Order: sequence, then structure tokens, then C-alpha cells
Amino acid sequence: MFRITCRIAWASLARRGSRSLLVVLMIAMSLWGLLFLEGIYDGMTEQMISNAIRSDSGQISLFAAGYRQDPDLDRLISQTEEVGRLLDNDRRVRSHVQRLRQDGLAATAHYARSVTVFGVDLGAERAHGRLDRYLIAGAYDFGDRKKGVLLGARLADKLKVKIGGKLIVSAQNSAQEVAGVALTITGIVRANNMALDEAAVFIDMDKARELFMTPTGVSQICVILQDEQDIAALRQELQQRFPDLEVLRWDEIYPALLQGRVMMKGFNLVMSLLIFGVAGLGIFGVMVVSVLERLREFGIMLAIGTSFSRVRQIIFTESFILGATGYLAGSLLGGATLVYFYHHGLDLTVFSQGLQEFGMDAITYAVIRPQYFLTAFGAVMLATLVSVLIPLRLLKKSNPIEAINKV
Amino acid sequence: MFFKIAVRNIRAYKKRSIITVILLACTTALLVFATAYMDGSHERMIRSSVEIYPGYVQITHRDFRDSPSLENLIFDAGQVTAALADLPGIAVLTPRYESFVLFAAGNKAVGGMLTGIDPAKEGRVSRLWESRKQGEYLEETDSALVYMGSELARRLKVGVNDEVAFVGTGADYSFSADTLRVKGIFRTGLFDFDNRAAFVAKSYLDRVMGAENYATHFIVLPARPEEAAELAAAIGERLGPEYEAASWRQTMAGLVQAMRVDTIFGYITLGIIFIVIFFVVMIYTMLAVSARLREIGILRAVGTEPGQVWRMLVMESVLLALVSVVAGGLIGGSLAYYFKLHPIVFSGFEEQFKQYGLAMTDMPTAFAPLVIVRDMALMFVLSVAATLYPIHKVNGYRPIEAMHHV
Repeated sequence: MFRITCRIAWASLARRGSRSLLVVLMIAMSLWGLLFLEGIYDGMTEQMISNAIRSDSGQISLFAAGYRQDPDLDRLISQTEEVGRLLDNDRRVRSHVQRLRQDGLAATAHYARSVTVFGVDLGAERAHGRLDRYLIAGAYDFGDRKKGVLLGARLADKLKVKIGGKLIVSAQNSAQEVAGVALTITGIVRANNMALDEAAVFIDMDKARELFMTPTGVSQICVILQDEQDIAALRQELQQRFPDLEVLRWDEIYPALLQGRVMMKGFNLVMSLLIFGVAGLGIFGVMVVSVLERLREFGIMLAIGTSFSRVRQIIFTESFILGATGYLAGSLLGGATLVYFYHHGLDLTVFSQGLQEFGMDAITYAVIRPQYFLTAFGAVMLATLVSVLIPLRLLKKSNPIEAINKV
Repeated sequence: MFFKIAVRNIRAYKKRSIITVILLACTTALLVFATAYMDGSHERMIRSSVEIYPGYVQITHRDFRDSPSLENLIFDAGQVTAALADLPGIAVLTPRYESFVLFAAGNKAVGGMLTGIDPAKEGRVSRLWESRKQGEYLEETDSALVYMGSELARRLKVGVNDEVAFVGTGADYSFSADTLRVKGIFRTGLFDFDNRAAFVAKSYLDRVMGAENYATHFIVLPARPEEAAELAAAIGERLGPEYEAASWRQTMAGLVQAMRVDTIFGYITLGIIFIVIFFVVMIYTMLAVSARLREIGILRAVGTEPGQVWRMLVMESVLLALVSVVAGGLIGGSLAYYFKLHPIVFSGFEEQFKQYGLAMTDMPTAFAPLVIVRDMALMFVLSVAATLYPIHKVNGYRPIEAMHHV
């Protein structure tokens, strides 16, 4: 019986081929557009978050108590070995790095800028956040004598310096004296993390210890986990184990990025409601007309003993076929588009200067999440099924005898 | 005659007409409002960024922007001021001497920007004066008094009347250092700026830095800010090749481009909504004209030309589109006007705005009648275009076919 229902529904849709095709096209195009927007916009947000995590905060960061409010060499993490050992032995931890950090001044022969000096271990940074991938000029190296320096791209631009140029870095050391060191620019990095690109000066950890006169201790320990789900648990454990340290999640260090993610979710929801609301209106129009123009046909069916529930099934099936076909076409088209942009990225290099202004990558790689397709399926089905409720009500109210006699 | 028939038909198919009008009017209102919001928020972002400190027009030595060294300063600030004294379109012209120094207070030392300004004029070209939070703003005669960003003061742990030492490089590459007293503290809301910037009277800094009559750049406030680019060109022409005058579109090219990217994505988003609506309008027109196929067949059978039927149906869609876009334009325009006067406030998103270098959370919309008319015209064309295929399709039936169509 179900087969007959499907055949009747299919025949009815085929009889009004252009109309059915338009509805399918409408659903497919709206779904395609929505999937594209969701994937690309989420890709932009997630890339910004990823850049911040890789280049700075990790998923969890540890600081000495009070360091964030008043960054000072007096407030360093002293138990570095103990923390390091614990993180090394934790299977949930993918990598961790230690950084020493102090505000200072970078000067060329002609110009100076205020900067943040980071003492880092380049090998560890490469394994941790792939800092080397952010290199846009020069080499990922401090040289044999460790007298090299990597500069943030915007800082290098403002200082108008090039690879091989000299830079004097001065900062206050732990003895409260201003110390300076002459370094050679070996590389320029663009992490698309505005704070770093604008002011970061990366120098060798040992050189930083010498400059700041801090033989032990670090300002920050950054941790990246194997699985994002473990962030809350590990953070709590670290906080309990080291109560005198501040243990923060990435979103506590970069609340703006979390706000961006929340905003994007809200935006996607509004877009979905708007698009499927309008698409539902289109399906509703088609189904109303489809039922009303076939009142005679349904009247005859009811008069010869077909139950109303069978007629209802036929109408629901018609609506379902329209929705499902549109959904399949839209999902295939949208899915293929997302797969393309997932691998090749949306290249907006022509606007790179503007995107960098907001800390965004010039090439955006789409995100593909199963929930896009599941939500869209739910929305399409809801729109198609709800849109036949009023036509069914109209049909139920109508008199079959009147309908049969209607010319 | 076509007009009368079209009006009658619209009234005869009331439900379809009402749904079409509502749909198109809402879409037009959405387009008008979205455009007003995008334009308004971009203008607000740019104004905020430009007016806090960078200024609408900057005058520098011709090589300073590419190579900001002490060799490329403006060495005769007085001559620049005199040359531009009678140039129309300039509301305020003021020199600055910017240098980067190491500040020290107590046991803290922090790098930052120390700038010499003409306090009275600076108060008109930037938001320094109105951003004062504690103490007093600077005066021209102030000597060794500093007006400091709130975050910088916090990091140095100083308040009003406390002492701060600085060490930097003078204009002649000599060592420059002095002790300043904090006269006032400002907070623009831009973390990075408040974290690094401090200001002193230019007459004082000129003496300390050995930079009498020097300037790193001049800032110009145009009488009409929207004509900044034209004014920059006129200034460049007046000063000659030794100097460069750049409007904010050049000095803040990244921000301008960022706004352009935002606009493009905004239109892509709207475009996707329009595609759906385009299809819905097409479907509704298809349903409406299909329902009238027999009527059209009879019209054709009694001698009506296909062209006349075409004109009649197009006239209907033109009238519906016209009513819709006018209604939508009025709704969208009213919303744009209302939110221009009462800006939308994003109170929970301060952090995100700050990250993007924006010290505000209120976004007024733009109210530009010409832009509204442009959007209405666009929607009108789209609405009518969406009906052409269904009209063409029903007009393709032969009269007998149409009359017997079930």
C-alpha cells in the first residue's frame, strides 16, 4: 500500500513538473548557500582561535599568581620542572612550551618601538604550535651564536627592517636595571595574532635569561591537548595541583575570540531560520495550490471509500519527496563546495591587508561539521511537513460531494 | 487599459497578491536596513579609529612613511604651518613629534610612545582631551608634565602627581632623558593605545629632544571630513614634492580594505537570502498564472494577442513589485533613520570590539536616501525578473491547450 501511495504522490508531482522542479531548486539553492556560509564563517572564526592557541595561549596557560594583572620578572613560575614532568607524563597532553616574557623597546639605528620580548625554544615551539609555519621571511633560526631575532610582521613593517638588519632590544632586568642586547634579524613571522604581529620579538631562551638576569623560572607555560574535550578536566587538575599558579583556558585569555564564536553561532541560527522560513513559505504555497486544485480528485477518492488518512499520507509523501529531493541536491552541492574549500581554501589574498587588520588569515579553509547537515535536514523536514498542515485542514473542511460536482 | 485589468486581477487574487507584497516588502526592508547598518557601522568604525589619534590627513616628509627615521623628519614645521595658513578646507592644523622611549617609575620600566603635541589644537583633532579620566589635560606652557594612557600608568604603578623618568633618542641621535610628573591620565578604551601612549607639550619635548621646530608629522582636521582625500591632494600640491599628504584612506588602508571585505561578505549573505526569495516569488507567480490558464486561453481565443497577454501579466507583476518596494523602502528607511538617531548597542561584546581596535559598542545606521532608492530599484528589477519565466511559460500555450488545461 505504501508503494501505491508513493506512486500516486510521485505522479502528482511529475504532472506539475516545472513547479516541483522550482521547489526542489529553491530548497537546494538555499541549503547550498547556507552550508557555504556556515562552513566559511566558522572556518574564519576557528582559524583565528587556532592561531591564538598555536602562537600564544595554548588551550591552557599557566602563569604565576598576579602575573596577568602585573607582568613582572618577580612573578615567574618557579616549579617549571615539576609542571613539565607532570605534563610530559599526561597522555592527554599533546605538547607544552615554556616562555619568558618582558616588555621592552626595540630600536634600529633610526627608529624605535615598544615591544614584548619572548624568550623561546624554537624547537619546542615548532613541535608545539608549528611557529615555523608562520615564518614569512628569513629563516626559523637564531643562528649559531643565538644572536638572531624573529620579529612580528607588523612590527617589522613599522620599524622598516629587513632580514640581516640590526636591532637593539632593551628591557628591564630582574635587578631593575635597563639592559640591552644587539641582535640580528633572522626571520619575520605573521601569526595573524594581532598582539604578536604588532609587538612580538622572539629571542633565544638562554639569551633572554642572560638579558633579564633570570637563571630560572618562566612567565608562561602553554599546553595543547590531544582532545579539546579534556580542557576543563586538566585545567581543574592543574589548578588543584598548583594552587599558587593561575591556570587559564584559552577563552579566558582571549575572551574576544569566544565572543566571536558565540556571535557566529547566533548568526548561523538566524540565517537558518530566515532561509528555511522563507523556503517553507514557498513550499506552503505550492502545497496549498496543489491540494486546492485537486479537491475534485480527492473528493472522488474519498467518495469511493479511500480513507482520509490515506489521502493525508499521499499529501505528506508529496511534501516529503519535494523536501528530501531538495535536501539531497542541496547537501550534495553544498557538501562538495565545502570539501573543495576545506582542501583548497577560499583565497582572499587580494584583501590580505584588510584581513590582517582583524587578525584573519588571507586564505580561509572551510569547516565541515555533521551538525550542519543534521540541522539542515531537520529544518527542511520541518518546513516541508509544517507547510502541509493548513492545506490538509482545508481539505478536511471541504465537502467531497461539492468538490465532485464543482466544474 | 492594461493598468485597469492588472489592478482588477491583483484584487481578484487577493491572497497571492498579499503574500507576494509581504514577501517582497520584507525583503526590500531587509536589504535597505542591512545596507544602512553595514554603511553606518563601517563609517562609525572608521571615524572612531581615525578620530582617536591617527587623524583624517597626515603630512610627513616624503620618505617618512617608508622609512620613519630621524633623517626623514619635517625640519621646518613653521614653514609648513605658514604655507598652509590660507589653504581653504583646513579646520585645524597641528604638528606632533612622536618618539619611542623607555619609561621608568619605581622599579618598573616599560617601553612606550612619548609624543609632543600642541595641547589646544590636539584636543580638536583627536579624542585625547575628552578621554581624560584623572587629573588635568595638558597646556601649551607645561614643562615636564605628562598626560598618560591609563594602562601605561597602571603598568608603571603611577598616579596623578607621581614621577616617571624616560630615556630615549633625541633628534640628533643624542641620549635624551628627563623626569616627568603625571598631570593627567586618559582612557580612550583602545587597550593598545592606552597601554603605550603618553603625551607632553611639544614646546617642552622639542627642547629635551633637540627638535626645535621639528615634527614627525602634522595632523589636519578638514572642515569637511568627507573631503579628506581632496584636501590631502590640495595640501600635497601646495607643499610640493618634499612632503607627502595622505588621507586616512591611505594611512589606514588596512581598515578600509577590512570594511570592504565585510561589505562583500554582507552582500554574499544577503544574496543567498535573495536567491531563496527570488525562487519563492517565481513559484508564487507560477502558481498564480497557472491557476488562470483557462482564463488566458479564453482571452487568446477571443482574439487577444500573446503580446497583450504578456503586457497584462507583466503589468501585474510591475504593480505588485512597485507597491512592495515602496512599502519595503519606507519600512527599511524608517528603521535606518530610527537607528541612526538611536544606535544599536552591542553591550556584551566590548572585548571583541577592543580586539579589533574599536573603542565603542554603539553602531548607528546610515540614512542615505539615494542608497535607499538604489536598493529599492534593485529589488524592483529582481522582483519583476522573477516573474518573467512563469509568464513566458503560460504565454507559450496555444488557446485550445490553455482552455483545456486541468
